[in-house]
Amino acid sequence: MEGKKIKLAVGIGSTCEGCSVAILDLHEKILDLVRLADIVYWVLAMDFKLHDLEKFQEKEIDVSLHHGTIRTSEHEHIAHLLREKSKALIAFGSCSCFGGIPGLCNVTNREEIFKVVYQETASTVNPDFITPQIKLSDNGHNLTLPELRDEGKALHQVVDVDYYLPGCPPAVELIEKLIPIIQNFLKTGNLPPKGTVIASEKTLCDECPLERQNKMIDKIVRPHKIIPDPKRCLLEQGILCLGPATRGGCGTKCINVLMPCRGCMGPTAEISDQGAKMIGAIASILGVEKEKDLSEAEVEKIIDQIKDPLGTFYRFTLPVASINRNFQEKGVK
Amino acid sequence: MEKSAGPRRITIDPITRLEGEAKIDIFLNEEGDVDNAYFQVVELRGFEKFCQGRPVEEMPRIVPRICGV
Repeated sequence: MEGKKIKLAVGIGSTCEGCSVAILDLHEKILDLVRLADIVYWVLAMDFKLHDLEKFQEKEIDVSLHHGTIRTSEHEHIAHLLREKSKALIAFGSCSCFGGIPGLCNVTNREEIFKVVYQETASTVNPDFITPQIKLSDNGHNLTLPELRDEGKALHQVVDVDYYLPGCPPAVELIEKLIPIIQNFLKTGNLPPKGTVIASEKTLCDECPLERQNKMIDKIVRPHKIIPDPKRCLLEQGILCLGPATRGGCGTKCINVLMPCRGCMGPTAEISDQGAKMIGAIASILGVEKEKDLSEAEVEKIIDQIKDPLGTFYRFTLPVASINRNFQEKGVK
Repeated sequence: MEKSAGPRRITIDPITRLEGEAKIDIFLNEEGDVDNAYFQVVELRGFEKFCQGRPVEEMPRIVPRICGV
């Protein structure tokens, strides 16, 4: 199989393109990647157009990486194209795996977003309240825009996904794992079992270098209010850290600079809902479970110390969380 | 100079090597000159809306995802 290469595509939804930059962060190892793969579509790095992707035959592309949240009709089109044209489709990065930060849009809807963005923000002057139109005719020129959906979605909520490589952005040491996977595919034609998550199977706490003393806390502190002890578990110092509810494999990059985890790797396979798991972990460390004498009002007082539970516990996973259904049913449509 | 055969439309979709998706439509007239050109931003995420109400100390960890390039 010497010299034989796979066809590799990188397609996007709603993205900051940090995932593409993370691939480029392979640095010289990107040469290993291009020795194994012909890049056949990658908008950030090379000059491909959408029609280039459209012209591929079914399953002609071997491996496609998709990053970004599914947010518009065009993102849906790209997701379906990647699925149709690819043998293996990898949800790459937290947006594609779980909906990611753009998925926080699910607390609102298109109408509200248009109102804030095109009318209310301090720097906006738009007396006629002009908003994006999916069809527009100007001097006889017909223009179209993709439709912004009310809801942001993870890739697997739109098309069938084979593998997941989470992270915001994915750690280079996890992206490197794609290289032996591609090598093995070229040699044997085999790919990992469907549904494989290219990351650790353990939680972040299992990898965390900070020391846990199994101490209870009586209050939650906002991270900028204290200078944490650099050797001790942040959660045990009262700083909300999503380590107990988050998959490892990221190299504890945030922890290494004493920033608490915000859960970009998503939950482990054992955890069905990242936020629910985290609320349970906080309840136990706050002593809520053990303190039988704690009145409801006292429990509420402790929970009230958590500023923005939704944006903290579901920072990267709202579209796939069970709580997401509540927002959708409440009529954000 | 040779004249183009009738009006024509040139579409560049997407514009590459940037973050933030966009396309350009250029309309040429009978003479092959540019009649009009349109730069179109094809997506919106709504950070302006969904950041509202969130703790200010979390903003440095949310808004870098506006652009990661």
